Amino acid sequence: MDFASNITIPALFQQTLVGLSRTTILFIVASGLSLILGVLRIPNVAHGSLYMIGAFIMYSVNLFFGGGQAGFWMAVLISPVAVALISLAVERGLFQHLYEREHLMLLLFTFSITLVFGDLVKMVWGSDYRCVDLPASFQGFFTIFGFPFPRYNLFLIIIGPVVAFGLWFLTNKTRIGKIARAAAVDREMVGAIGINVSLVFAAVFVIGCFLAGLGGALVAPTQNIRQGMDHAIIIEAFLIVIMGGLGNIWGALLGALIFGLTDSIGVLVLPQFAIVFPYVVVVIALFFRPKGLLKSTW
Amino acid sequence: MSDSSRSAWKDFVPGLAVFVIFLFVPSFLPRFHVYLLGLIFTTGLLAVSLNLVLGLGGMYQFHHAVFYGIGAYTVALVITKTALSPWIGFLLAPLVSALLSLAIGLICVRLSKLYFGMLQISLGSLVWAVVFRWYSFTGGDDGIHGISVPDIISSTSGAYYFSLVLTGLCLVVMQRIVNSPFGRSFQAVRDNPVRSEAVGINVKRVQLTGMVISGAFAGIAGSMFVVIEGSVFPELMFWTLSLEIIIMCLLGGWFTFLGPMLGAAIIVLLRTFVGIYTEYWTIILGIVLMLLILFLPQGVLGYFLEKFDRGGMKPVREEK
Amino acid sequence: MMLQVESLRKSFDGFAAVSDAQLGVKKGEVVAVIGPNGAGKTTLFNLITGQLKADGGRIIFKGQNLAGMSPYEICRRGISRSFQVVNIFSRLTVFENVRVAVMSYNKSTFNLFSKAKDTAVSETENILKSVGLSGKAGRISGSLSHGDQKVLEMAVALGNRPELLILDEPTAGMSPEETRNALELMKLLSRDRGITILFCEHDMELVFSIANRIMVMQHGRTIIQEAPDVVRNDSRVQEAYLGGSDEGICCDS
Repeated sequence: MDFASNITIPALFQQTLVGLSRTTILFIVASGLSLILGVLRIPNVAHGSLYMIGAFIMYSVNLFFGGGQAGFWMAVLISPVAVALISLAVERGLFQHLYEREHLMLLLFTFSITLVFGDLVKMVWGSDYRCVDLPASFQGFFTIFGFPFPRYNLFLIIIGPVVAFGLWFLTNKTRIGKIARAAAVDREMVGAIGINVSLVFAAVFVIGCFLAGLGGALVAPTQNIRQGMDHAIIIEAFLIVIMGGLGNIWGALLGALIFGLTDSIGVLVLPQFAIVFPYVVVVIALFFRPKGLLKSTW
Repeated sequence: MSDSSRSAWKDFVPGLAVFVIFLFVPSFLPRFHVYLLGLIFTTGLLAVSLNLVLGLGGMYQFHHAVFYGIGAYTVALVITKTALSPWIGFLLAPLVSALLSLAIGLICVRLSKLYFGMLQISLGSLVWAVVFRWYSFTGGDDGIHGISVPDIISSTSGAYYFSLVLTGLCLVVMQRIVNSPFGRSFQAVRDNPVRSEAVGINVKRVQLTGMVISGAFAGIAGSMFVVIEGSVFPELMFWTLSLEIIIMCLLGGWFTFLGPMLGAAIIVLLRTFVGIYTEYWTIILGIVLMLLILFLPQGVLGYFLEKFDRGGMKPVREEK
Repeated sequence: MMLQVESLRKSFDGFAAVSDAQLGVKKGEVVAVIGPNGAGKTTLFNLITGQLKADGGRIIFKGQNLAGMSPYEICRRGISRSFQVVNIFSRLTVFENVRVAVMSYNKSTFNLFSKAKDTAVSETENILKSVGLSGKAGRISGSLSHGDQKVLEMAVALGNRPELLILDEPTAGMSPEETRNALELMKLLSRDRGITILFCEHDMELVFSIANRIMVMQHGRTIIQEAPDVVRNDSRVQEAYLGGSDEGICCDS
C-alpha cells in the first residue's frame, strides 16, 4: 500500500484545489439542507433526490439547447429553478400538513419521498449513466505547479464563495432572511406578530431545495450522473450539517471544507481509504462536540 | 405451582403450534416460496431486534443495519478467509455484533435522542466506508459471493429450517428478555429517564445493555442472511437499510413484540410480488410509507389492536 | 447526624439560586424546609439527590460526601425522593411504577431471564396498600387524578426502602382530605417504619403538626433551623415569610 509517498508540495497544492472544488458542491447542498433543518426542523432526506434530479435535468436541458455555452448556462440556470418548483409542489401538497409531527416521522416521510423520486427518475431517464460535456471554454486545464488542473474545477472554487456570500446576504440582510432566522428560534413568536409563518416556511424550503438542485446541476459535468447519487450525497450532507451545527450555514461551510479537504488530501496518504478520512473526522468532531462544531439553532 | 405451569403451557402452545405448522411448509410450498419465508424470518428477526431498542427502549437507533451487516460479514469472512469450521462463524457473528454494539454504544449512549441517533449514523457510516473500500479483505463494493455454506443447510429447505429454528429460538429468548425485570426497567427508562435515575437505575448502563442485546440478535439475523443468499455486500450496512428496518417496525406496530415481524413480512412480500410485475417497486414502497405516516401512525398491527381495544398501553409517540 | 449540608452554593447563569444553604437532619427526624417561592428549596433538594451539581459546599450523608455522584448512586446509598411536579412513569400502570423502584432496590434491574410479573409482587402490593392505592393498581398512572398521582409519587419513592425520604411539596394541589391522608402516611412512615423524612411544603398547618425541626430559606440561604416554636417566634422568619399570620395553604406555583 502506498503510504504517504505521494505527499509533495505540488501534489498537496493540487489536491487542496481538488478538495476545494468538492467543497463547493458539498457546501451548496449541505447549506440547503441546513437551512431546512434549522428553520423548518425537517431532516430532509429527499434533499439528495433533488440533487440527483438537478443533475439529470441539467443533462436534459443541456442536450436540448445543443450543448456548448448556451446549453451549459441555460441548464445551470433552469435546473435549480425546476427543482425549486418541484419542491414547492411537494411542500404545499404534503409537507405543510406535517410540520407538527415528530422528527422521526418527518425523517421517514422525506425518506418515502426519496423512494418515490428515485423511481420517478428511473422512469424518466432510465437506468443508464448519463454524461454531460462541458462547453469548450470550460474544458482543458490550467497548469499549476506543473500539474494540470481542470478549468471547471477552478470555476467551482470561485462559485463557492459567491454562493456563500449570496446566502449570507439573504439570511442577514434581507427581510425574509431575518424573519426566517427568527422563525428558526421561535416560530410561535413570529406567528404571533402577524407574519404568515406558513409562507416563510414555504420560501425557506424552496430556497433550500433550489440549492440542492444547483449543487446537482454544477456537479453534473464532473461525474457520471446515475441512480444512487442521491443516497451517496445525502449521507455526506447530513454528516456535514451535523458536524457543523444544525441550522448553521457557516457550520455547513466549515463541515464541507473539512469533508472535502480530508477526502482529497487523504488520497495522498492512503488512496484506497481516502473516503474513510472524512467519516473519521466527523466521528471525532461529534465525540467532543456532540451538538456540532458551531452553534446550532436547535 | 401447577397453576403457573399450566399457564406457562398456555402461553407456549400457540407459538409451538405455529412453529410446527412452519415445519411442514416445505412439503407443500414451491421452492421459491420456501426461500421467501426464510428471508422473511431473517428480516423479521432483524426488525424485532431493532424494536428492542427502538420500541421498548425508545432509543433513536438510526443505524441498526450495521450490526446486521457485521454479523453477515463475520460469517462470510470466517468461511472464505479462514480454515475454521463455518459453525464457528455462526457462533462468532452475534459476538462480533455485540462487541460492535458495545463500542458504538459506549460512544453514543451519553447523548440522548436525536444526537444519539446522529452520532450512531456517523459511526455506522464509518464502518460502512471501511468495508466498502477494503477490496482485499471484504470484497469492497462487490462484496463476497458464492459463500459455501455447510451442506446440511445449503439447500433451500435446509436454509429454511436453519432460519426457522434460529428465529424461533431467538424470539423465545427475546420475548423472555422483554418480560424480564430488565425489560420493565428498560421501558421505565424510555418513559422517564430522570425518574429512573432517581429510583436507582443506572440509565446509561441499561441502555447500553439493551443495545448490546439488540445488536447480538441483529448479528444472528445477519448470519441467517448468508445461509439464505450465499453472499454479502456493503448494502447490508448502508443507511437506507437502517431506515427500511425502522419502517418495518413502524409498519407492523412498534409497541407490540411481533409487529415488526409482520412489517418485515409485508415489505418482503410486497417487494417480491410487486417486483414480478414492475421494476418500479421502490415507488410503491414510498407511497405505502407515505400513506402509513399520514393515516396510520401506530402501524398496521397497532391499528387493529386498537380496533379490538386490546392495547393496554397506547403510548403517545407523537410528542415534541 | 444522618445528613449534613454545609455552605451549599449553586448559580445558574449568574443567578444564585442557592447561595449558602445549611441543613442538618438526624436519624429518625422529620425536618421541614420552608420559604417563599423562589427561595431555593427545590434547587436544594436537586443538589442533595444529584440532579444538579453544586458549585461549592458539602453534602455529607452517613459520613460520605455526595458531591459529584449521579442520582442513581445517591439513591443506592439510601436516599429516595419524590418530585414537586409529578414525575411518574405515566405510561406504566400504578403497579409497575412502584415495582420498578422495588426491582431497582432488589438489584433486579439487569435480570434478563426471570419473569417480571412474578418479581417483587408482595413488596409492591404492601407499598400500594400502605398508601391506599391497592384498588387502582392496574390503572395506567397517567390517567389518575392529580391527588392520586401525588400519592403515587411518594409510593414510588418508597419502593427504594429509603433511610432518608425527601419529599418535594408532597401535598401540592391536594384536596384537604387527601392532605390529611398524606399527613397520616408521613406520620406512619416516621413513627412505625423509622424513616427519616426531609420535606418542603407551603402548607404551614402540616409543617407545624409533624416537623421536629424546621429550616427556613430565603433568597437561597438558610435563615434558621430550629424547633417549630422557636421558628414561629423568630423575628427574621416572621418578617421574611410568615407575615405575622399562619394561614393554611399558600398559593402553589
